Amino acid sequence: MAKSNITNNIRRYRFNANEMTQQQLADEVGTSRQTIVAIEKGNYSPSLELAFRIAGVFNSSIDDIFSYTSEQDNQKTQ
Amino acid sequence: MSYREKENIVNIFSALVITSVYAWIVYQKQMSGLIDLKDDFQKWGIVFLIFAGLSIVARIIIYIIFSIINVIATREEKIPPIDERDKLIKLKATRNSHYSFSFGFFIAIIGLSIGMPTYWLFILFVLSGVVSELIDNGSQMYYYRKGV
Repeated sequence: MAKSNITNNIRRYRFNANEMTQQQLADEVGTSRQTIVAIEKGNYSPSLELAFRIAGVFNSSIDDIFSYTSEQDNQKTQ
Repeated sequence: MSYREKENIVNIFSALVITSVYAWIVYQKQMSGLIDLKDDFQKWGIVFLIFAGLSIVARIIIYIIFSIINVIATREEKIPPIDERDKLIKLKATRNSHYSFSFGFFIAIIGLSIGMPTYWLFILFVLSGVVSELIDNGSQMYYYRKGV
């Protein structure tokens, strides 16, 4: 399965939020811990709604937590 | 291993065991002459209906046993909620399952058109059903492991 073009800093934000666990974040946003693990690893791109909910937990905007790199950008950097 | 992956393994196990046991019972009845599935297609309907009922009951029992064993082994009473990722994985697995069943259906129809006995149509339906269920659960396990 191809890796997503969406990267995220959820792990860093969790660490800064009193070392919040994946389970705590999952409970806050109403998903399973496995979904948080998959998002952090880049194996799953969350829906816009879930992305907003995750950003809301850290009182940040989606832009701060998620970033998108297109295929063209990837090719340019290579 | 996550709860959903374990659930899929249990589903694969249930599908194989229930179908094998029931197919063996029906085969023995056919061999002993209690039913005639070669020519009496009404019997196929009865066999399918009984299988559907037994399958549901057996699955409920297996699922209850699985839940109890899982709680004892992991000490986690809370079942993880079904979220958007679970739904997406289920959707893709169902798509794969439908493709495989359709394939089996067409093979059965082609078999019929080239003169295979009619009872083979029903046997191929059963086989397609089992294979499509295995593909459904196998796909889910694949997507849970590799990402979706």
